[in-house]
Amino acid sequence: MSQKLLLIGALFAMCALPVFSQAIPKDTLVVGLDIGIIVDLEPARVYEDASNLVIWQIYDNLITFNGTFNVLSPGLAESWDASADGLTWTFHLRKGAKFHSGNEVTADAVVFSFTRALALNFAPIWMLKQYVPSSENIKKIDKYTVAITTTVPLSEGLMGAIMGVQGICSIIDPAVVAAHKTASDPWANKWLQFHDAGSGPYKLIEWAPNDRVIMQRFNDYWGGPAKTKNLIFLDIPEVEQQALSLESGSIDIALNLLPSAIEKFKTEKSFKVYEIPGWHIRYLAMNAGMKPFDNPLVREAVKYAIDYNAIVNGIVKGAAVIGETFIPVGIPGHLDATPYHKDIQKAKDLLAQAGYPNGFTTQILCTPTFPGRDIAIEVQQDLAAVGIKADVVQLVAAQMYTLYRAQKQEMIVADWGVDYASGDSLVKPFAHCCSTGPDAPVRQLAWRNMYSNCKLTALVDKTETELNEAKRLDMYKQIQQTILNDGPFAIMYYPLNQYAAKASVKGFVPMNSLSFVKFDGVYKE
Amino acid sequence: MISYIIRRLVWMIFVIFGVMTITFFLARVIPADPVAAVLPSNAPPEAIAKLRAEMGLDKPIWVQYGIYINGVLHGNLGTSIRTRQPVLNDLLRYFPATAELAVAASIIGIIIGITLGLLSAVKQGSILDHSGRVFSIWGLSMPAFFTGLMLVILFSHILHWFPQMGEMPSYLRRPPRVTGFLIMDTMIAGNWSLVLNELWHLALPAFTLGWLSTASIVRIMRSSMLEVLPEEYIKTARMKGLRESTVILKHALKNAMLPTITIMGLQVASLLNGAVLTETVFSWPGIGRYATASFLSIDFSAVVGVTIFMALLYSSANLIVDLLYGYLNPKIRYT
Repeated sequence: MSQKLLLIGALFAMCALPVFSQAIPKDTLVVGLDIGIIVDLEPARVYEDASNLVIWQIYDNLITFNGTFNVLSPGLAESWDASADGLTWTFHLRKGAKFHSGNEVTADAVVFSFTRALALNFAPIWMLKQYVPSSENIKKIDKYTVAITTTVPLSEGLMGAIMGVQGICSIIDPAVVAAHKTASDPWANKWLQFHDAGSGPYKLIEWAPNDRVIMQRFNDYWGGPAKTKNLIFLDIPEVEQQALSLESGSIDIALNLLPSAIEKFKTEKSFKVYEIPGWHIRYLAMNAGMKPFDNPLVREAVKYAIDYNAIVNGIVKGAAVIGETFIPVGIPGHLDATPYHKDIQKAKDLLAQAGYPNGFTTQILCTPTFPGRDIAIEVQQDLAAVGIKADVVQLVAAQMYTLYRAQKQEMIVADWGVDYASGDSLVKPFAHCCSTGPDAPVRQLAWRNMYSNCKLTALVDKTETELNEAKRLDMYKQIQQTILNDGPFAIMYYPLNQYAAKASVKGFVPMNSLSFVKFDGVYKE
Repeated sequence: MISYIIRRLVWMIFVIFGVMTITFFLARVIPADPVAAVLPSNAPPEAIAKLRAEMGLDKPIWVQYGIYINGVLHGNLGTSIRTRQPVLNDLLRYFPATAELAVAASIIGIIIGITLGLLSAVKQGSILDHSGRVFSIWGLSMPAFFTGLMLVILFSHILHWFPQMGEMPSYLRRPPRVTGFLIMDTMIAGNWSLVLNELWHLALPAFTLGWLSTASIVRIMRSSMLEVLPEEYIKTARMKGLRESTVILKHALKNAMLPTITIMGLQVASLLNGAVLTETVFSWPGIGRYATASFLSIDFSAVVGVTIFMALLYSSANLIVDLLYGYLNPKIRYT
């Protein structure tokens, strides 16, 4: 009898379990995301979406982007102008902008921030260094004016895109750095990995790695206080768990969801789905330095053999837009052209014309993960239909990229992320290669695929210094057209960034790159 | 006894040294570049070369090994290329969460395992016996991420009995770090409702992980009980007129525990393996998550560090099991 009583008691206890409310208070916004395998909050070193996203909330740049990359918005700089030769850029700072410490943001802080990033010289610094190689290029004019000289004349769009890069171009509080530096660490690099010295709409309260980043609104923000008091990024590596957590209400926004979960949230009124093409390019590349891909006709045949529709609608389930040019939608200069579609006869004719009427054997490298592997298998079948026998070789990313960087692949399915909001960050990797040897100045995708085109490379070099924005964008289009026709890439799509949030979440503006999403305007009704 | 322990400890050092050396070289034999894994795929070659030099990866492998051994002797397990923190700091940071999970899981596993094993043996052939076996085999044969997700769907999504994930509510701040053990720190902070809340968060992941170890404990417990029960001394005990519960719990159980303890010791390893998957499913910020991330990014120092750490835990567990033998069976002598 007593045992039965105990059992009944236990059952009652179970029903009483949910005594703790899971409901998130209205003044707190919890964002679930896969913070990923890379973790660092040192502004001079951040180099991928999750860390960039945190930096973007707690630091400001001279310029910023509001909802679009086509227009530069004033950040800590209220206005800017360039000298007639395009070599000197003068930034006029906003008066009264404050760091979280209460110190004012001044020209000294701007000079200090760039000097610090250049001195620390971490991996992402190349984006700045290519045009602003040393701290001598940055001069204080007066308390609220800074002049930056560049090595080559830059147009406004390109200069703005560089100044908008999080981290290396974020403005840092010199007094806070000075307070935490040590003899062996003059830039307080160790301290800044876990703390903040910014002026952004949110202050960093705590970062518990593998768990959560807690931020609180900065009431003295120059742009007005953020709409929600507390902002929490919760690390949820498992995508299914993210979807479940959003449904149950333990997070307000989920940033990494599978297409199937997105479809489900679309049908439910209490959730809202946000979709925007991402700053990513998924492509198949052919090594033009190897037979038979040295023949442009073969490359064209492959481009006609691929079933782009099956990949976008079948494999990634519509979570992408078909795109065949290397500057994705949303970046100024994107060429909207998709001439290739599956045409088996045309591909066969081209192969015959190239001297391979019976096809050939080759190899496709891919990672053993979705969707790379699935795309490689689809391509394998598509190629088989035109007589090309391709083996799919799956390698973990680190292994695959080691081969790729050494130009040892025949075909490869890979993707590319955009570094900064300008076609400049794409024309060099995709089209700059005049020599396939180790002496080449840019050893990126065109080089890795041994596609050497000196005329095109010269044009790429010219884009850098073209001051007329419209002309520069035209040149980008021209370069994309050449690569589209002749290049070693069969570009397939730009993945959609898909997010879901509770319907009560308002003011969330998705951006083409997650790194640039701002949360200070987001609130819950 | 003391000399036995000392000898075992000396052996442990050799074992750990071996594990360390093998992992060190194995990690470097893989034709993959950790720098390429950590930096984005579009990082320019100069950036890669720079980071490689920074991490000392441009030196010959023997030199790297020498530097590493020297570091280990000075209590330095190297720096993680991914987190940029000393590996030892990382291990100490993430271990408490795993320890809390593993302790809770062991308690659940052992209680369920021994109870089911005992009942199955006593009521051999009954429905209880069969369902106990199904339950335990089920736990063993399902991977932890599947069990975990199913439990989440049933108990938190449909029934709303337990939270979905994490150590504590998503919107709260952690208590100040004193010991690193969240529940202990919360107690120190005196926030008792949060302690209960954390225990509530611990339930599902601990059950997921505990269920894994239940299977072997049930089976061993059942079979050793079945071996012990027909023994003469059990019959004697019964003939003396002792109550059946006394016979089972006092006389049979203690002897049947011996093999079970071995298994429980070995479970430490499976708990650590299971923790890798369980922690990922439940967003549990422990060493399993750290290990997964380190392996995926081929973070050499972290991989070797995690391996040494696991080897240390495993050998310590073995030693403790061996010492427990002596307590349970005085016939065993340590020489």
